[in-house]
Amino acid sequence: MTEALKLTIDRRDAFAVIHTEGYINNQGGEEIARAAYELLDSGYRRLLLDLTGTKIINSIGISILIEIIEKMLEVDGKLAFCSLTPTIEKTFHIMGLAQYASIYPDQTIAVVELAP
Amino acid sequence: MKDATLQDELLALARQEPQGRQLVERLLGLLDRATGTHGAALYVKTELGYRRELATAGSTDEDSLAEVLADGPGQLTFDGGLVRWHGTTGSSGVEAPALLLALVTAARELVLRGQLKRQDFEAKSRGVQLEALYDVGLAIASTLDFERLCEEILMRAVALSDARRGALYLKQAGRLELHRVFGGDAQARLDPEDEETQELLAGVPRPTCCVLPGALYVLGVSIAVDGLPKGLLVIGDKESRQGVGPFSPADRRTLDLLANQAAIALENADLHRQALEKERLEREIELASEIQRQILPKGTPVIPGYELAGWNRPAKHIGGDYYDIFPFVDGSSWGLVLGDVSGKGVPAALLVSTLHSALRLLLDRFELGADLFVRLNEHILASSASNKFITLLAARLDPATGELHYLNAGHNPGIVIGAGGGVEQMGPGGLPLGLMPGVSFRTEQATIAPGDLLCLYSDGITEAVGPDDVEFGFDRLTRLLAEGREEPLADLMRRIDREVSAHAAGLPQGDDQTVLLLRRSARWPAAQSG
Repeated sequence: MTEALKLTIDRRDAFAVIHTEGYINNQGGEEIARAAYELLDSGYRRLLLDLTGTKIINSIGISILIEIIEKMLEVDGKLAFCSLTPTIEKTFHIMGLAQYASIYPDQTIAVVELAP
Repeated sequence: MKDATLQDELLALARQEPQGRQLVERLLGLLDRATGTHGAALYVKTELGYRRELATAGSTDEDSLAEVLADGPGQLTFDGGLVRWHGTTGSSGVEAPALLLALVTAARELVLRGQLKRQDFEAKSRGVQLEALYDVGLAIASTLDFERLCEEILMRAVALSDARRGALYLKQAGRLELHRVFGGDAQARLDPEDEETQELLAGVPRPTCCVLPGALYVLGVSIAVDGLPKGLLVIGDKESRQGVGPFSPADRRTLDLLANQAAIALENADLHRQALEKERLEREIELASEIQRQILPKGTPVIPGYELAGWNRPAKHIGGDYYDIFPFVDGSSWGLVLGDVSGKGVPAALLVSTLHSALRLLLDRFELGADLFVRLNEHILASSASNKFITLLAARLDPATGELHYLNAGHNPGIVIGAGGGVEQMGPGGLPLGLMPGVSFRTEQATIAPGDLLCLYSDGITEAVGPDDVEFGFDRLTRLLAEGREEPLADLMRRIDREVSAHAAGLPQGDDQTVLLLRRSARWPAAQSG
């Protein structure tokens, strides 16, 4: 069972992919935020969060993801998600994340959509 | 800052129309400059006091305020927060109130928006909780994968309560065994009578406890079906942005609801798992039954001058009775064997296989006699459980003379029905095989005269019980044999089967039933024999 969050960052030309593996909670959310803000500072305005390795997220993790979305919107950036479990996807819809961030079934489709 | 300058800055700000947080930041900066740039900060009221939300670059204000003094120079409280600054306003003080009014209005709007956002978030979180409970409910009907269900239940419990870790225990043999763990270690086994476990089962929140080592706050809830505890769901360390804290009564209610749903889902999945296991066992037993059928003779061999019939019906799918008819390597004599392993079902059937293989292998190297039985006894002793034994009657028939040399290891003596209807029992023999080491055996002899009928049988025939608790018995069997001594043996065999079944009157068959019949033809010319 996945537990402590591990991140892998893939910097591409037009966007960056943050791949997560593990629990997105307070600690995991903060790590994602730190990575996202570093990417923002280094000029990326399009970020893709690939949650292939994440099966569980709590409300603290969600609130941090909302903050990241808000921050991205402030700078006219875009945050997208892909490869969500049905439970997490349903949670994102209920919590309103899907209103401000695109959700793609997998990374292949997301990459096509995010490419300029 | 002069009043005129302040007025200009305020007008400039109004023209730019900043909103929300940005507006408050700009006004706070303006206040700071208007009061000598000693720092200014906005605090938001929380359950624990006031938390610093925004501050100017030079501010030395603390992150949070537990106690707040009444308003005075340098502080203005409003509904939901307060503004602090550390200098003094300009000379006239005319424009400063306007600035403070604008700041407090913007700050109040910001705080209200934050509150609305938080309330919206909490309402949506409750929606997520309800959906999760609904989903677990759906899983009752759709998910029968026990392991996946366990993982799902634990993860939902952890996520819904914002816990950092958790564990799922299932009751096995009177103890609670750790089945799934998340986010850290958990004790492998719990004693339901232990005080700490009792508190967790009762839903009493605990500070540190050894169930989740290192956790600061622990909450448990019993997973019960029809009031009987089947498991324990434990979560540890409720998260917030500030760290971890205790679980709330609302968490306890959510966990209770989840555990109720989980109990039904787990019970259904467990029943399904048991059904699958039963199905698998039945398939294996069917296969074992097929293997055992291969051990028994296929059809009846032809021995000139003799008529033969054999029949076996196990009490379960596979049984512990065994019979065999085979020619010896000399080509002139025949072996007749009937054995009965203690017990029934798979263990007995396994021992039947052992007996069959061992007997056939030993007969390749040794004569059927006391030495062979001693070796067989040692082999059975070495390869069976201490409480298992076999009764066995093995005979060597010389068809030419009708001489029968036989050994009996604790089996029902064979019956010989004479041509005139007289009944004789063969010798009782020695102890069963596999009972104890060092047992000796003796070869006995009998003669099957023309017209004689030999019957070897297992006790499942004579001990078949009827509704009146009376056994079928030796006398009924010998009467049937005597009456049918001239009938075709296949017909006699069917009659024995019918009579034994009629005696049982539909009661379940208690033991394996086997009969082996051999009749020497009365008309077979003596000159042709041999």
